Amino acid sequence: MFCYLLQHVEALEILLQGLCGVQRERLRIHEICLKSGPHLGTVASEVRLLCDLEQSEPSWSVRHVGGAMRGAGAEQVSVLVRSMVESKTSKNALRLFYALGYKFDHELLRVGFSFNFYRGAQITVTVASINKMLKLHATDEAVPVTLGIQMVEVIAPATSENYTEVATAMSSFCEYLAPLLHLSKPGVSTGVVPTAAAAAAALMSDGGGTTL
Amino acid sequence: ILHWQPNQGTVVNSQVLNEISQCVETLNGVKEGRCKASLTFYRPNLRDQSVTIDFPRDFLGISMLELPNKYFFIIRGQKIVLEADSSILLIMEKLQSYKSKVALNFEGVLYKLGDFQIRVIKVVPNQAESLRGIMVEIEYLPISSIEKSKQIMEEFIDIWKEIVAKKSLAGQFMHAEPNYAEYGLGDNYTSQHTAVQYAAALAQLIQSAQVRN
Repeated sequence: MFCYLLQHVEALEILLQGLCGVQRERLRIHEICLKSGPHLGTVASEVRLLCDLEQSEPSWSVRHVGGAMRGAGAEQVSVLVRSMVESKTSKNALRLFYALGYKFDHELLRVGFSFNFYRGAQITVTVASINKMLKLHATDEAVPVTLGIQMVEVIAPATSENYTEVATAMSSFCEYLAPLLHLSKPGVSTGVVPTAAAAAAALMSDGGGTTL
Repeated sequence: ILHWQPNQGTVVNSQVLNEISQCVETLNGVKEGRCKASLTFYRPNLRDQSVTIDFPRDFLGISMLELPNKYFFIIRGQKIVLEADSSILLIMEKLQSYKSKVALNFEGVLYKLGDFQIRVIKVVPNQAESLRGIMVEIEYLPISSIEKSKQIMEEFIDIWKEIVAKKSLAGQFMHAEPNYAEYGLGDNYTSQHTAVQYAAALAQLIQSAQVRN
């Protein structure tokens, strides 16, 4: 589930802090998207390398994101369901994939914060700006892709047996964010919440004591 | 790691393996258990077979029984070693860009000799019994710095070679330490170092087999 947020980021943070009951974590992730070169593989493939720059020692992981689940089952669920496999790796992941014939496609830097908590499912909410690098891999010189816009993403891991329950837990949680924003499946537009400004003001003025 | 180099015109066999195991017992080595590593060569899945030269010929994957949640990738030609979670195999399967081609197992018996640990390893193809090679892996447990443990390791290796020589077997143990710095590895010995050594030992085994043939 996701949406774009132009303002009220601070208010959202206060709301999330109150709902999740955990400390927020800072997020600074360099994501490099590689695609298979010509001839490699019977079909083209794509792999993402993620470098967590928030740690004192950058840590890498490799991620494969599958296509979205389709069909009647997918339409009945209010969230986007797709397969994702991730593996932590030592620091040579980029060199390895280049050597295997993968080519650089694009990269971006996500900067923001996230909350990771359990509420019917293990849910992660991230609020981040998406930034592009002006020079290859120059994460210190990243600029927002679209100034002022943050992306709010809510994700949760699931298995093929329990994804409907997880989807329900996610949807229920997202309803608590309704005073500020509406989240939806990617590709479905949501619009702005008309009362968001008032809700945000309430949150900011007494630092989370307000019940919305 | 020391790998067994049979004399010209001879092959490695289970009798040699038994004699080598007896050498460990001569040193009062105590059997502690078994160990196993699996090495898999990967080849690119190509739409056009003529471009194989553009892809690495020595892309190797290694799993170790003692580290069930880890997997290692090595490209020797480019001095790349990667340690990953074992879920990387699922990623490779989804990518469909490389297929596993040949697998070999390093099956070993683990012995403890005071502060040393020795693995007597037989190299066997996956799902076959034929012995392709023999290796001995020596570890000095108290020190993880390669530099600091160099002297004591060399002394032990000399003793080991003397004991083996007394058996007058048709071959000898060879020892060539890889250049870990080329792989970006430091002085502190890790499982990535082991993976690099296994790959190097395998390459030497293949090379000496090719020379003899």
